[in-house]
Order: sequence, then structure tokens, then C-alpha cells
Amino acid sequence: MKNTAIKIVLWTVLFVIMVFFPKLFGIYYTNLFVTFAVFAVYAVSLNVLLGYTGLLSFGHAMFFGIGGYGTALALKHIDGIALLPAVGIGVLATFLLALVLCPLVTRVTGTAFAMLHLAFGQLFYVLALKLRNITGGEDGIGNFPIPDLVIPGVASFSMKGAPQNFYYLALVLLGISLWLMWFFTKTPFGQIQVAIRDNAKRADYLGYKVPQSKAVIYVVSGIFAGVAGSVYGMFHNLVSADGSLGVMVSFTPIIAAMIGGVGSFFGPIWGTAIFQILEEVVFRFTDRVELVTGAILILVVMFAPQGLAGFIKMLKMRYFSTPAVSAKKEKTS
Amino acid sequence: MDPTTSMYVAQGIHGIAYGMILFLIASGLTIIFGMMGILNLAHAAFFMLAGYFCYQVTAITGSFWMGLLLAPVFTAFFGIFVERVFLRRIHAFGHLGELILTLGIAQVILAFVKIVWGTESLPVKVPTILTGMVSVGGLDYPIYRLFVIGLAMVVLVFMLLLLYKTRLGKIVRAAVSDRDMVNALGINIPVIYMIVFGVGTWLAGVAGVAIAPILTVFPGLADQVGMDAFIVVVTGGFGSLAGAFIVSIIFGLLSSYGVQFLSQLAPVLMVGFMAIVLAFRPNGLFGVEE
Repeated sequence: MKNTAIKIVLWTVLFVIMVFFPKLFGIYYTNLFVTFAVFAVYAVSLNVLLGYTGLLSFGHAMFFGIGGYGTALALKHIDGIALLPAVGIGVLATFLLALVLCPLVTRVTGTAFAMLHLAFGQLFYVLALKLRNITGGEDGIGNFPIPDLVIPGVASFSMKGAPQNFYYLALVLLGISLWLMWFFTKTPFGQIQVAIRDNAKRADYLGYKVPQSKAVIYVVSGIFAGVAGSVYGMFHNLVSADGSLGVMVSFTPIIAAMIGGVGSFFGPIWGTAIFQILEEVVFRFTDRVELVTGAILILVVMFAPQGLAGFIKMLKMRYFSTPAVSAKKEKTS
Repeated sequence: MDPTTSMYVAQGIHGIAYGMILFLIASGLTIIFGMMGILNLAHAAFFMLAGYFCYQVTAITGSFWMGLLLAPVFTAFFGIFVERVFLRRIHAFGHLGELILTLGIAQVILAFVKIVWGTESLPVKVPTILTGMVSVGGLDYPIYRLFVIGLAMVVLVFMLLLLYKTRLGKIVRAAVSDRDMVNALGINIPVIYMIVFGVGTWLAGVAGVAIAPILTVFPGLADQVGMDAFIVVVTGGFGSLAGAFIVSIIFGLLSSYGVQFLSQLAPVLMVGFMAIVLAFRPNGLFGVEE
């Protein structure tokens, strides 16, 4: 009872902070928070694949990028399209892409899966650079119109030049995505994914359809990466090959998941937060992006292979559990 | 000989030379993977580092041959250092950790290279004996490309002799098929790992030196060529030397003729080829079922 009460209080506090965030912290930090929210959802979508099914993708940026490009192209070329259908088109594009790819990629696991995605990611990156008449090449698609959000019969919110309104839109879209993914991993189907990750053969013998299950989670992961990419594109009013499809865009969520803890649902969110704060602080002094990210990766793998979530768990076990339990745990581990 | 034919032949030579360089990189990758189960994402970074070492040695000594001799050795020592200090400690945590760690090392090498040598392209001069063209049967061949093909052939023969005619090679082949058994027989597997990793990075080093005069040395080198090498290993089958060789040559020819006929979409050809192969053989052309 006490725990639920605390939880309700915490969620209310969080909700209130979220609602008044732009008023409290000003426009700079509001925009920073939108970036954080986008990458948090993106990292969680990768972690649904990595942490729950054990499939590491080195090309998740293709979903992120296709979502962005889909929305941008829809907004640019379809006159009078409303905001949410444009997001829908971006997400639909990622859905189709994932659907086309999944018969191929669910046949491989481990390293081959990772490398296959690296290759496909590069393919889309190169295509975005080369197909200039569609994607704008190096310049990307910028300055596309962003329509007002109209809820029929209720209200209309202007998006252009009103960062607060965009903040609420991003918050709602990304919040819903996050909640859906959380819900998804808690369903029996989500739990089967963990079984497949831990022992695919046994899950197969128990009668679960392994490739099909993987395909479903692959598509789900792709869709939510697409939502993140779509919001990101509208947020910057620019979708470019380097900003949305580059290799670093694929690596960022992996780094976030590693820092926060792979396999824990909220780990990647913490990881993204830590990474963003580091970025804010470190990159004010140096622009050696590779050095910082590389060093972080090495340090995390060497000293905290379970990420922040594992580190906290270890601390908890060492300092907050009864001696008998911790002794027992040490014996079994 | 009419110009069209000679153009085809010249493109073919370019393709085979590029394929041979790809093979040098891919062979190191695939041996390390077959032996240690590590996909070394830093491999391409080692390859690029060797190019910079070659530039530096050539600049100091004034001789490309010294660069060819020393740069791969320096690279190999650096590779052994990475294996001993980083990779060995995290072997127990599985593949994910290794992938991420080598990714981190690749990033750090990239940053290091940018700090020390800057971001511009650095040219590497070859000795006059290797410049110009040689004329055989009425066709002109660029000497340096032929030299690269010859160099790769020598390295290939050396590798095959090492792998199939020596005791070390026998141990390595045994360890590829059953690591634990070899370890149980009293052979010091960590030392073998170190040697294999050193040889693998040495091969990447030779490739880096060989490509330096063709493409010049710049920080994007690792991405550009390294990605091709990874695709070769994935398509040829992890751990398979023969697969790496055949696919390297195919890719070399695909890229050189592809640039000629479909310059926009040349990179797409390779990925397309890989997708088709993997659709039918998920473990690559010569890969074995896990």
C-alpha cells in the first residue's frame, strides 16, 4: 500500500513538472528536453529489440531516418495535409520497411544480424545522399511547412514558431509511444521474447514460433523508431542524411542502452539522459565527439557491463539487502 | 588493341587490385572471428591507422619500402596491446560487450588520428620504380596496381603456408573447430589468441599501406573501405578464408565496373549482392551452420 501511494505521488509530481516544464526552465531547456525525449524513445525502441530479443542492430537509424523522411516528404508534397496524418505516413513508411526486411533479417542472429543492419543502414544513407531529386542530397529536406494541430471542434494549436506547443505535442506522442512499448513488453507475448533471447531452441520446442515472434517485435521496434524520427524531423524542420541516417545516429541509442543498462526497460532512458548531460557539459569544452563517445563505451564495457541499472542493482544487493539474502545470492552467482 | 577493350581491361585490373586489398582486410577479420569469435569493429580503424603510420614512416625515412615494412608491424603491436589490455578482460561477458568495446576503440583511434594528423588528405609517394605504366601485349597496365596484386598474392601464399604447413597453423585450425578441447590439451590458448590477433591486425596493416598511395590517407578511410570489408566477411561467411577471397574479388570487380556503368548506385550493388546471398544462405556463402 505504502509503495503504491509513493508511486502515485511521484507520478503526479512528474506530470506536474512535465506540464509546467516550459514555464519553469525556459525555451532552451525545453528544446533540450524535446531532443532528450526523442532519443529516449528511440533508444527504448532499440532496446525492445536488443534487451528483450537479444538482437543488436547497427542500423536502427534507417527506421529513424525513414520516419523523418516520410513525414518531411508528405508535408512538403501533399498540400493541406494535417499534422497527425503526416506523422502517420512517416510511421507507415517505417512499418512497410520493417515488414519487407523482416523475412530476411529474422533468419540471422547475433553478429550477422548486427552487420546486416550496418549494411542496410549504409545503403539507405548512400541512397539518401545520391537520390538528390527526392531527398535533396547532402542538404536534406528543410523548411517544409508544419501545419497547425487541429482537433476537430475543440481547438487548433499553431506549431510553427511556438516551441511550447510543439513541446506538448512531442511529449504526448512520445509519451504514448513509450507507454505502448512498456505495455507491449509486459504482455505474455513480450515475455516470450525474453524466452527466445535466453534460449531460442527451447522456446521453439515449447511451440512458440520463433522467427514469427522475432518479426513482430522487429516491426514494433521499427515503428517506434519511426515515430521518434518523425518527431525529430519536425522539431528541427530539417531531415538530412547525416542528421537522421548516419552511422552515429545508429550508435547513439546503443550507447544510451549500454550506459543505462541493456534489458531494463527504463535503462535506456536514464542512459539517454546521462549521455545528453555529458554532451551538454563536455562539448562546451571540446568538439572531439568520437573521443568522448569511444571512451565512454570502453569504460562502460570494462567497468559496468550491466550499465547503470546493473550498477544500482549491485549497490542495492550489497548495501540494502539482509545479510542472509546477499550471502545466498553470492553463493549462487 | 582498341580503346574500349583496353578500358575494360584497365577497369578489371583496378577491380582485382581493390578486391585484393579488400581480401587482405577481410582475411584478418575472418581469421580473428573464426578463432576468437570476435567481430572486430576496430579492424577498419587499424587499417586506417596503418595508412597513417606508413605516411609518417615514409615522411621520416623518405622510403616507401620502410613504410611497407614497419607500418604493419607497428599496427600489429598496437593490436596486440588492445587484445591484451581490453579484449581479454571482457571475453567472459559475451559478444555484445566485445562488439561495443571494439566500436569504442574504433572511435578512439579515429579521434586520435584526427588529433595527431588533422583531417586533411595526406598523400603517400611511391618510389619511381612503381609509378607509370607497363605495356604487355599492346595493353598498358598501371604498375602500382599490379604490385598490389602481387603483394596480396605473396601474403596469401605466406598465410596458407603458415596455416597449413606449420605447427602453429595446426593449433590455430584445431582451435577454430574446438577451442575448449585444444585448451584442455595443454596449449596456451590466450597466447595463441594474442598471436592470431596480431597477425590479423598485421594483415589490416599491409592493406592500409597498400591502399595509402591510391586513395591517400584521410580519417574517412576506415568507413569507406572498412564497410566494404565487413560486407565481404558477412557475405563470404564468417571464419571462411576461401569465402573471403572469392567475395573480395567479386566485390572488387563489381565496384570498379559498377562505378563505370552505374556510378550513382555502385555501393548499392554490393549491398544488393549481399542481401541476395544472405536471403538464401543466412550464414554467408561458405559459412557453416551454427
